[in-house]
Amino acid sequence: MIEINSDFLISKKSKFSNFKIQLRRSFTITKKDLKIYYNKPPVLIQGIFFPIILFFAFTVGRNIEPVYLISGIMTMVLFLTSTSLGPIIFPWETMRGTLERLITCPISIKTIMIGSIWSSFIYGVLFSSIPLIFGILFLSSSLTINYFLIIIAMIIASLVFSSFSLIISAPPTRNPGNTMILQIFIKFPLLFISPLFMPIHSIPTAVISPLTYCLDVINVGLGEVSAFGPFGLLIDVLGLLAIGFGFLFLAFAIHQKTLEKRFQG
Amino acid sequence: MNAIIVNNLAKHFESPKKGKPGRMGTNNPQVKMGLIRAVDGISFEVKKGEIFGFLGPNGAGKTTTIRMMTGVLRPTKGNVSIFGKDVWKNQILVKQITGNVPEEANVYFDLSGFQNLTFIGEIYGIPKKIRIERAENLLKKFELYEKRNLKSMKYSKGMKQRLLLCMALMSDPEILFLDEPTSGLDVQSARIIKQLVREYNEKGVTVFLTTHDMEVANELCHRIAIINHGKIISLDTPENLKKLTQEYKAIDFYFDHSVDVTKIEELSSVREVQKVREGFHVIVEDIHESVCEIVDFIKENHFIIKQLNTHQPKLEDAFLKIIERGDRN
Repeated sequence: MIEINSDFLISKKSKFSNFKIQLRRSFTITKKDLKIYYNKPPVLIQGIFFPIILFFAFTVGRNIEPVYLISGIMTMVLFLTSTSLGPIIFPWETMRGTLERLITCPISIKTIMIGSIWSSFIYGVLFSSIPLIFGILFLSSSLTINYFLIIIAMIIASLVFSSFSLIISAPPTRNPGNTMILQIFIKFPLLFISPLFMPIHSIPTAVISPLTYCLDVINVGLGEVSAFGPFGLLIDVLGLLAIGFGFLFLAFAIHQKTLEKRFQG
Repeated sequence: MNAIIVNNLAKHFESPKKGKPGRMGTNNPQVKMGLIRAVDGISFEVKKGEIFGFLGPNGAGKTTTIRMMTGVLRPTKGNVSIFGKDVWKNQILVKQITGNVPEEANVYFDLSGFQNLTFIGEIYGIPKKIRIERAENLLKKFELYEKRNLKSMKYSKGMKQRLLLCMALMSDPEILFLDEPTSGLDVQSARIIKQLVREYNEKGVTVFLTTHDMEVANELCHRIAIINHGKIISLDTPENLKKLTQEYKAIDFYFDHSVDVTKIEELSSVREVQKVREGFHVIVEDIHESVCEIVDFIKENHFIIKQLNTHQPKLEDAFLKIIERGDRN
């Protein structure tokens, strides 16, 4: 009879135990991603300066309502930072040969993906708080701020956008440049159809963009009335969750399908 | 007891251009009906505690086989079981007791050697104290301890390969899959890897090894399977495989005098003689008998022998012969 280590026995116990083990291991992937991909001077500098530049670019000399300004910049930064590195990690790791090393470990591809989502989420939340801080410092006199709502919006939206970035990373390419081009074609049209820096009803395509629901929660958090009526907040949160889970399961399905192709031939 | 059972395993890939042969060429038997039959229904068993060599030319199906055995690729047909568990159906379970060094794998360049090991240890769920202790021991054993805090992008190829093997051993695996572990390495690194593979095998670790290096296969493996065009064409011990090439038993020698080639041809134990520069290369049936006869010949003629080298059949010769025979068939 072979001797096997205790973790191996745990994984025989129950689905819930396995889930806990895989969740714990996804945090290990997160730590690795943060250390290797996010904790880099150019990435950090971009993460800090990009929101600051955006804040001043839209504040100085423009007559935008403070509510729409803060919600617009926060949503844009949340979206762009949460989706900045997610699309390139899979192709990068395929190219380097570390992905194959990783998937021969006792973790599923979903665990690797969840780990990647956590890291994008942390990066997105961290740097999208910069425009909020600037907004509070420079524009808070005219606003009533509900921090709880804003934090909820940041957390949910960052998870939604991180899941979205995984869909872009799914093509089985070894060249990170390919997914970077792809993300330009997907991310920027999404920004254009979103009602950034303006009332939500002013753009008819707004309802199909996940950014809209994030904008609306932040707007409400800054004292505005929801664009979706009395149950607007509920619609926003449920809308974001539905889109988020949709993105997540779509990303799982596509990655499961394309993973093999990364190692063919 | 069998550690691994491979049963009728096959992997077919779609050819890049459907209906046309893939990159492997029109005459390649692996390409049929727009499908590349990378592995075509192979079966074998690996015993517990064995070092099992898996040899074959480039494109024969070695890496595809090992990828199916380690749960990277899903078999088109057949299955692999490890200690009775189907690899594809029990991936996490099976991966927990196996260690892998994939051919194209790499370490994380931005992490130090020590961080690479503790990261893998954490992925395997090894408690912090044990993984630190284990990482340090492995780094010492593989002569990487001095450079443990250096980012692995600064490691040489040999050091990276040793680190990969350390990563595979972090979980204290029952089975080790090594895909070309000594390929392109310096002598020192290759020697360390060979020694330690042998050492771990002596402790009971089963090793599945693919390599192009016949010396490594000959030195390490208890049994060897040879794969070509996705099919296993031979499976035996290295000694038995070498028996296929008895004609490669040879002796090289030269004397202080020049000798006519006919004199050597007259020696009864010699099958074939080739004149090589100042000496001879002779093919023999029995090396001991032939050496004795050559020595007698020297004594009779009062020559002085300048050099004499004997050549046993090599695994490389057997490998080439088996591949050629397979291609002809």
